[in-house]
Formats: sequence, C-alpha cells, structure tokens
Amino acid sequence: MNRTEVLTLIARYTREVIPGLDAHSFTGSDKLVDLGANSVDRAEIAMLVQESLGLVVPRVELFGPKNIGELADLFLKKLDAA
Amino acid sequence: MRPDLVITGLGVIASIGQGKTAFARALLNGESAFAVMQRPGRQRESAYLGAEIGEFTFAPSLGPQVRRAGSLSAHAALVVLQEAWDEARLFEVEPHRIGLVIGGSNLQQRELVQTHETYRDRTEFLRPTYGLSFMDSDLCGFCTAQFGIRGLAFTVGGASASGQLAIIQAALAVLTNQVDVCVALGALTDLSYWECQGLRALGAMGSDRFATEPARACRPFDRDHDGFIFGESCGAVVIESPQSSERRRLEPYAKLRGWGLALDGNRNPDPSLDGEIRAIRGALAAAEWPVETIDYVNPHGTGSVIGDETEISALRACGLNSAYLNATKSIIGHGLSAAGAVEVIATLLQMKRGSLHPTLNLLHPIDPALNWVRDTSIERQIERALTLSIGFGGINTALCLERYSA
Repeated sequence: MNRTEVLTLIARYTREVIPGLDAHSFTGSDKLVDLGANSVDRAEIAMLVQESLGLVVPRVELFGPKNIGELADLFLKKLDAA
Repeated sequence: MRPDLVITGLGVIASIGQGKTAFARALLNGESAFAVMQRPGRQRESAYLGAEIGEFTFAPSLGPQVRRAGSLSAHAALVVLQEAWDEARLFEVEPHRIGLVIGGSNLQQRELVQTHETYRDRTEFLRPTYGLSFMDSDLCGFCTAQFGIRGLAFTVGGASASGQLAIIQAALAVLTNQVDVCVALGALTDLSYWECQGLRALGAMGSDRFATEPARACRPFDRDHDGFIFGESCGAVVIESPQSSERRRLEPYAKLRGWGLALDGNRNPDPSLDGEIRAIRGALAAAEWPVETIDYVNPHGTGSVIGDETEISALRACGLNSAYLNATKSIIGHGLSAAGAVEVIATLLQMKRGSLHPTLNLLHPIDPALNWVRDTSIERQIERALTLSIGFGGINTALCLERYSA
C-alpha cells in the first residue's frame, strides 16, 4: 500500500465520521481538528483506519502526527515493520 | 402537598407513528403494527413478536453527525425531545434553568450485543465511542449537547415504571426550584434477543397462544392474554410551574395534580395488590381527589395474566368501578422503560381531543362489568385521569392529571 492509498483511506473514514466533507479535497496538510473532528472523532477515525489495515498502533504514538499526511506516514511505517 | 405543575409540551414516537398527530390518529383508529420482529439483533433461531418503529424523520437541526453517532435509543430520544422542545418553546428558557430526567436503565442492549458480536475476536479494533455508548447516561450527553441543556440531567431506573418515575423526578426538580422547566423522557428500551429470551423464560413476555398471529397476540385484560408483547416507543413530557408557562404564554395540556409511589419490598416480577392500592390511594390523596371524580384510568395493563388480574383488583378495591378504561399497550405494545411516559402522552392527547381510544383484542374482558372502551374509540370529555405503571422489583406508580383550564 502506498501513501496515496493510505491517505485515501483516512479521507474515507474522516468523511464517514465528520459528515459534510463530501466536497472537500483532502491533502496531506489537512488537520483533523480543522476539519471539525473532536478528540473522540479523531480516535474513531484512527481506529477505523487501523481496522481497515489490520494494524494496531499504540494510542500514545497516534498523538504525534500533526496532520493527516504525517498520520499516513505513521501507518505506512507500521505497515512496513509488520 | 398538592403540587402546582403544568405539562406544556409532548413528543412521542412508536410503531404506529412519529409525532403527536400521527400517534393520536393511529391510537384512536386502533391501528397496530405487531409482527415477528425484524431489527438486526432481535432474533436468534426465534420469532419474537413485537411492534417496531419504521423510518425516523429528523428535523434539519438533528444533523448527520448525530444521526451517524446515535443509537436507536438516542435517535428516539432526540426526535421526541425536539418535538416537545419546539412545542413548549424551550428555546426561550435560560439553559441553566432547564433539566432533563431520562427514565430507564440498560436501554441499549441490542446495540451492545451487536458490537460485542462484531468485535468478539478483534477487541483491539473496538470503536472508541463504545467507551461512551455503553452507559445509559450517554443519552443525557446526546440530548444536553444537542439542546444546550445546562440545568441538570440524569437517568432513573424503575423497570417498567421508569417513565412515570422520570416524570415524578422531573416534577420534584421543578418543585424544589432546581430548574424552572424539566423534561421527563421515557427512553426507548432496545431489546436484544437475550432480553427477549430472558423475558420469555421468565414467563413475562408472550405469546405462545398467538405465536403465529401477531395482530392477535397483544391482548391486555382479555381472557386469552398470555404475556406482554414488546413495542418500541419513546416519549418526552415537559413539566413546569404555571408561572413559568405563563411567561411564554403557553396553553398547557394539563395539570399534574399528584402522584403515588409505592414499593412492595419484592425483587421478583410478580405484582402486589397492596402496593398498587397504596400507589393509587397515595396519588388521589396528594391530588385531594375523591375517587368518584376520576373519569378515566390509563392502566398499566400489559397482558400478563397475574398482572392484569391484580390491577383489576386494585382498581376495584380503590372504588374505580365506573371510570372509563382502555389499554394503550393493546395498540403499541409494551415499551418497558418508555411505557409510563408514552401512556401519559396517550392520556393527554385523548384528553385534548375529547376521545378515548379502543382496546384491541378485548373480546372477553376478564372483568366485563368495568367501563371498557372496546372496539372503537368514543367521544368523551375527560377532566380527571389516573395513569398507572408497575415495574419488576415491586415498584408501583400512579399519576393524577387534570385537563387544563386557566
């Protein structure tokens, strides 16, 4: 899986959790907070992506990424290590 | 103490319709919707009967995020609260002076079972929101967030008397000046097949006799009754002082004149004649009503053999021999935690329309001498009504409602 595919997955679940983003064009610099996601929404999105990838990332590591591009990079790194 | 309280807003949903207009029309026409239940998680090699709600209509203010995140019980709570909120114009009340009491416990069992089964072998992917949604008070969270309620909010449990218990607690919150207005909500009990099986095994839920005839299975007070039939429902009732209501120039439905709450000291599901009599007499004493002034009784009437018989005995023992009687559960089924609130709403809508709804399947009343409304609705102006609820664990409640006149 490449970075674009992971980003697409993040965008898909962000749209599911935060309605009203259908027309939004996602980029790596998007921040979930700025898209209207509260902390529970962010945890929900991250979990949906992990479930989809079959990947478990410790909660503490999910605090690191500052935008969805960095989040995608974290998931990619974990996928490579798996 | 005779309380001085009025009811100024109502919201309701049941299998027969969403909103007061549709609900009252179907009640008066005696239109029921019993079937083998279809909702995912309701059956497991079983064919439990019940009455399920169809499609919800959401106000635009109940946006997609709430619709996605909310459970069935949350959706029902939000739509009935919206209806009552608009009717009582609670948007004109200072949010710190508004309260919410939600009646019911272990409300969202079906959703929980669905989640458990989905994630049984991969708990590491459990949705984080489960940490919120497994608590009944999550409904308080949804409702107070959506409507900006800042006064108080909590849940109360009293089995099938939860709805009336919520009304009593909401009334107390107003009487003790904790808030100016308090909404009592009888929450939708969302049964999974586990609760259906448990209630069947306990002998409480029907029906063996009419297992293949859903429309005939729910028959409170009829000779052929053999247990209650579940029906999804939810209702909201707005309670405040007359002064608070006058500030918004509302015309209330009714005055809440008194209530009785009596415990049997009994953990089991069986009813107590003594407990029911004490609840009724307590309510009448609080209202200072002579028993003969009651025009109408909305009984608990589930279709349980011993429950129906005991309730008839209690009514007779209290001298309620001539008041009109019908059974709302014969049309919508038993909403469990919601029942008490939804039946108060049914009572107030009948009072407002000057009509009493029929009692379905009441072919051979176990006490034919009582004043039943049977096959069709009748026009009758009701001034004073008594509504009853009885719950497992020996809880009995009674409310006195008087048609409003300024």
